[in-house]
Amino acid sequence: MKEYKLIFTGRMGAGKTTAIAAISEIPPVQTDVTNNDRPAHAKATTTVALDYGEVTLPHGDKLRLYGTPGQSRFDFMWKILSEGALGVIVLIDNSAPDPLADMREYLDAFRDIVSSSRAIVGVGRCDTHPVPGIDSFCEAAKEMALSVPVMSVDVRRREDVLLMLEVLFHQIEAAEADEALS
Amino acid sequence: MNTIADKDYAAEAAVCQRHVDSLVATHTGIRGAVIATTDGFEIAAHVDSSVSVAKLAAMVSSLSALSEAVSRESKIGSSRDLMIDAESGRLLLVDASTGARKRVLAVLCDNRETLGQALWAVRSCREAILRELEGH
Ligand SMILES: Nc1nc2c(ncn2[C@@H]2O[C@H](COP(=O)(O)OP(=O)(O)OP(=O)(O)O)[C@@H](O)[C@H]2O)c(=O)[nH]1
Ligand SMILES: [Mg+2]
Repeated sequence: MKEYKLIFTGRMGAGKTTAIAAISEIPPVQTDVTNNDRPAHAKATTTVALDYGEVTLPHGDKLRLYGTPGQSRFDFMWKILSEGALGVIVLIDNSAPDPLADMREYLDAFRDIVSSSRAIVGVGRCDTHPVPGIDSFCEAAKEMALSVPVMSVDVRRREDVLLMLEVLFHQIEAAEADEALS
Repeated sequence: MNTIADKDYAAEAAVCQRHVDSLVATHTGIRGAVIATTDGFEIAAHVDSSVSVAKLAAMVSSLSALSEAVSRESKIGSSRDLMIDAESGRLLLVDASTGARKRVLAVLCDNRETLGQALWAVRSCREAILRELEGH
């Protein structure tokens, strides 16, 4: 049995806490507190340290899921949480002012994991905010010389989040096969 | 910018600043203090320029939330104080909330201050702040 550590990151309100709560088999550990920065997001609470949840895969391997705070004033937590992580899930809120810039920021912050092809981008609220489209995200990632799958996701739906993890795992397996060859 | 701006904030910040200044002024072993919102914004601070207040405020809020989560997980109730005992000093974190307004007071001491003295000073400072802010 193996254990893998995965990171959920993305801007404030992208849905990191929601995504982990949607799939965790244990009551997730949350560190949400009152949000005083209402101009940045109207949400009542925000994560200031981490989220933690667990998922067991069908063959018995265990996923340890860590959510980061979204705001860059907590970037020290991004570094701490990335230690030993196998992969990273970058969540995007497509209703935010500049979702493509958000993607660039978080792909860049987690570049060490992302550049070894262990990342996926999940774009949320595409139903109400279809622009920019998935293609634009792929294009923007390509411009950063990164190969990252991008898919639309509703973080509130368990099946959506699990599907995203499955795609990430295929991506990681492919990356490992490539590394073994070279 | 790691600050928040609303009407009540200026009055609250002024009260906090006065208490933090006096705490540092009256204790030679207390090097500095920061009062932050629980989501990591500075309200008041008195630290020397080698310390980044913005960063300390964010870190203090993470620590205090983690301490709360660990206490909850261990079934020991709500967390109160947190102490980091380091090589050449200590960092004490205490809750300084009034009603819905959640704050953390963080105090940096060096080894001239014993733990007992530091705790006493920090708690007195907290009580003084709460008395004044609750009176508002
Ligand atoms: N209406 C709608 N709401 C959504 C959708 N996706 C996510 N949400 C909501 O958006 C909010 C996301 O909040 P969180 O999960 O706290 O976001 P977070 O990324 O953890 O935020 P921080 O911890 O503050 O950085 C939740 O209230 C979700 O229910 C969507 O597609 N439609
Ligand atoms: Mg969160």
